[in-house]
Amino acid sequence: MFRKMGIAWRMALLVLFGAGIIMGSIVGYSYFHARGMLEEEIQQKALYLAQATANRIETVENAVEKMASGLAMSLEYYPASSKIDFYRLLEHMVRENPEISGSAVAFASKKAGTLLPAPYVYRVDGSFARKDLGAGGYRYDIWDWYTLPKELKKPIWSEPYFDEGGGNMLMVTYSVPLFDSKGLFEGVVTCDVSLEWLTGFLRTLPIGKTGYATLTSRNGTYIAHPRREFIMRESVFSLAEERGNPALRRLGQRTQRGETGIVPFESLITGKPGWLAFAPIPSTGWSLGVIFPRAEAMAKVMSFTRDELLLGLVGFTLLLLVVLAIARSITQPLRQLDKAVRSLDMTVEVGGKSKPKQLLATGNLEIPEIRGEDEVARLSASFARMRRDLKEYIEKLQAATVARERIESDLRVAETIQRSLIPKDFPKREDFEIRGLLDPAREVGGDFYDFFLADPEHLCLAIGDVSGKGVPTALFMAVTRTFLKAFFREDKNPAASLSRLNDELEAENDSNMFVTLFCAVIDLKTGECRYANGGHNPPVLLRGGSSEFLPKVRGALVGCMKGIAFDEGRLMLKKGDRLFLYTDGVTEAMDKGDVPYGETGMLEALAGLENADCAELLKGVRASIKGFVKEAEQSDDITMLAFRFFP
Amino acid sequence: MKKNFLSLLFLFSLLFSPESALALKTVSFIPQWNPQAQFAGYYVAAEKGFYKKHGLDAKILVGGPDHDPVQYLKSGKAQFAPLFLTTALDSRDKGVPLINLAQVVKSSNLMLVAWKDRKIEKIGDLDKKRVSLWGDWLSTAYLGFFRKNAVKPVAVPQFFTVNLFLRKGVDACAAMHYNEFHQILQAGVDPEELTTFHLKNEQFDLPEDGIYCLESTYRKSPADCRAFALASLEGWTYVRQHPAEALDIVMERVKAANVPTNRAHMKWMLETILGTIDEKEPTLSRRTYAETVKLMKRQGLLNRTVPYETFCVEEARDVP
Repeated sequence: MFRKMGIAWRMALLVLFGAGIIMGSIVGYSYFHARGMLEEEIQQKALYLAQATANRIETVENAVEKMASGLAMSLEYYPASSKIDFYRLLEHMVRENPEISGSAVAFASKKAGTLLPAPYVYRVDGSFARKDLGAGGYRYDIWDWYTLPKELKKPIWSEPYFDEGGGNMLMVTYSVPLFDSKGLFEGVVTCDVSLEWLTGFLRTLPIGKTGYATLTSRNGTYIAHPRREFIMRESVFSLAEERGNPALRRLGQRTQRGETGIVPFESLITGKPGWLAFAPIPSTGWSLGVIFPRAEAMAKVMSFTRDELLLGLVGFTLLLLVVLAIARSITQPLRQLDKAVRSLDMTVEVGGKSKPKQLLATGNLEIPEIRGEDEVARLSASFARMRRDLKEYIEKLQAATVARERIESDLRVAETIQRSLIPKDFPKREDFEIRGLLDPAREVGGDFYDFFLADPEHLCLAIGDVSGKGVPTALFMAVTRTFLKAFFREDKNPAASLSRLNDELEAENDSNMFVTLFCAVIDLKTGECRYANGGHNPPVLLRGGSSEFLPKVRGALVGCMKGIAFDEGRLMLKKGDRLFLYTDGVTEAMDKGDVPYGETGMLEALAGLENADCAELLKGVRASIKGFVKEAEQSDDITMLAFRFFP
Repeated sequence: MKKNFLSLLFLFSLLFSPESALALKTVSFIPQWNPQAQFAGYYVAAEKGFYKKHGLDAKILVGGPDHDPVQYLKSGKAQFAPLFLTTALDSRDKGVPLINLAQVVKSSNLMLVAWKDRKIEKIGDLDKKRVSLWGDWLSTAYLGFFRKNAVKPVAVPQFFTVNLFLRKGVDACAAMHYNEFHQILQAGVDPEELTTFHLKNEQFDLPEDGIYCLESTYRKSPADCRAFALASLEGWTYVRQHPAEALDIVMERVKAANVPTNRAHMKWMLETILGTIDEKEPTLSRRTYAETVKLMKRQGLLNRTVPYETFCVEEARDVP
């Protein structure tokens, strides 16, 4: 994917990637740093807040403690039998102290099983009600507010409780024991404090939307908690038990020991992480907890980081645009160059093969000129140079191609002429059998053979090789053949005919061409064979199992020199004799190592074809040549003519 | 006309339905204490319709410290109540002729919990220590336990809370295994800080909650009494099979009565009390009865006694 992108995009992305890492590191560092600092600050704040709130509650409780203790102290100086209007006294105290919602004095009876009156004054809807706690058989001496100070011999804060009489308010009672001069327990003075104000007070603490404060009693029971159903029902320990959270239990025990601290804490309401700062309220043995939710505390850092990221994103987009613009301006010439070179590539389909469009040839390839000396400019210059070279090369190639095509068409013409001149129909007769073969080389040579009946009793045979190649050679061959035919019609003398031919050819021979030529006239009745040879390879007579060259007769190349005489050879053919005529293409056929087939190879091949008819003979020799040269290219025409007398 | 016909049909349906409202006999049951898991079987029996199935319209009243169940039975405000064996014997002694219909809690949940840091590790260490105890018949097993082990602690009266113990005003206190002991744990005290004595392991395994009614109630309609006991025991069977559902039912009662307790505590209570209940064989053995009577007599808590056969109905007796 990345590799397929343009340079501009790749560059832009790489730059952005690098910049992104750097920016990410900076943002990350600043986030964690800010978070760390804020965390510290929040923890401090939480701790201070917890302590300050605890102190605030403690202050109220201390005031109540002083009032109750003061009353108890003064009562201890009066004998139990004194006539004191306790109701008036208590009402006065309750009225003067808004923290106190009720107060009682309960004396211990000296007679077991009996109770003395216990005057109690309490607030009801802004006024004050009076009640004897001991009236109606109600046993006040079994409740904690009475028994605990009695047994512990010291003032106590009761565990908080719901006061069923006074509107189901959450209350806590401070009880001070009274002792006589001998230290014997005389009774208790109590002050009730409503805890309703606490809930309201704790709600005003600056601890955010999801933060909250809790108050737990000496036993770990919740006195104040935003979840009302926890109050007086659940304790830190019951929650720890229900949630299988031993850490919470240990935390509860720390608060019971009056410790101050701050711990990571999961909100019991939202389950989200935060901190719990806790501080004791020593007088009651309670503990105040302030829960700061982490998310909310961290919201500032988060929003700062979010802004930073947003800005970064905008910056990134701008950077991307700038980098893209720069990169594109750098790669613009490259793209032009690419476009120009790409047009080279455009191919057209011709007959299933793709051929390049003739752009280069027509010189349409325009390499844009790029100024400057940078890499792109140099590349462009190189391309221009390459284009020039290419153009030159193509021009040369075209010229060469034209020349080659001309030669090829010349050769084709020559081949056509050659093929049209040699006889291809071999007569089927009783008295002789004849068969010829011309296997032209790629560049057609000047080989030819011919045979015709000069009259019904005389068969003329000829085989020759014109010097050179191509059309002139072919034409020369045609002339030679025409003359030869004409002369033989007039005179069946081969030597004389050769002589005439020589003179005729020489006369018109401006290009100094010549031909080697063997010709023979066979009297079909007698078997007499007269022949003449103009510098050609001597034919082979195959008689019985033997094969031998025809005796040599004097004669030169035909067409070179005027007035040359040719000797005539004679021999008598017997029934079944065969004549094998050939050109130098046979003996000079070369294998890959330039070793010629030679007369030896030819004679061996002929020896192996003792009883073959003419067609078989030619085929056999041809096969033998092929077997010899193998893959070597045929350099000259291979021409053979075979004759058999009375087969 | 059509309306009258429908009313008539309704009346007929009431008359011939075997479990119809008309046929149900209204009875009341008063637990000894605030709604809590100790009474799960009765709440479940009511909630799942087991009483109805037995032809009773049973109301489970809200108990508590101000509602003495014996007084409720005596005054006729309730017909049935769960009582400790000692309570029932004590009441009989005071002239309230109670009769045991079924012994539900057959084993004792009473225990003594002591502070280890007050040097109490074994029974002997309790000597001369301040120990808070419930009064009267609830102290029977403890006093017997002290006497047998020849320890003489200083007894301090204990009432509804264990706060005196928690504030270390006493060295040890009485506790129900299913209630106060767990309250102490739920006040942040670790079991390692405590030495505990289970009275059932100290040969004072006195039976606890049995279902009681007045002799007169039983005489008047023994079938209803039997039905109430049977339905209650079915309730307990259901509790054992479906503890989570039972706990939900208990918590509903707890919430309705605004009892300051929590689910974790009720779960503990349910599991613990189930360990001492045998709803399949709800009988009071003759031997246990005799031993409890003897123990209470020795402590001067009983003057008169009644024969075993008079005290429990036939179904609540073990093999004679």
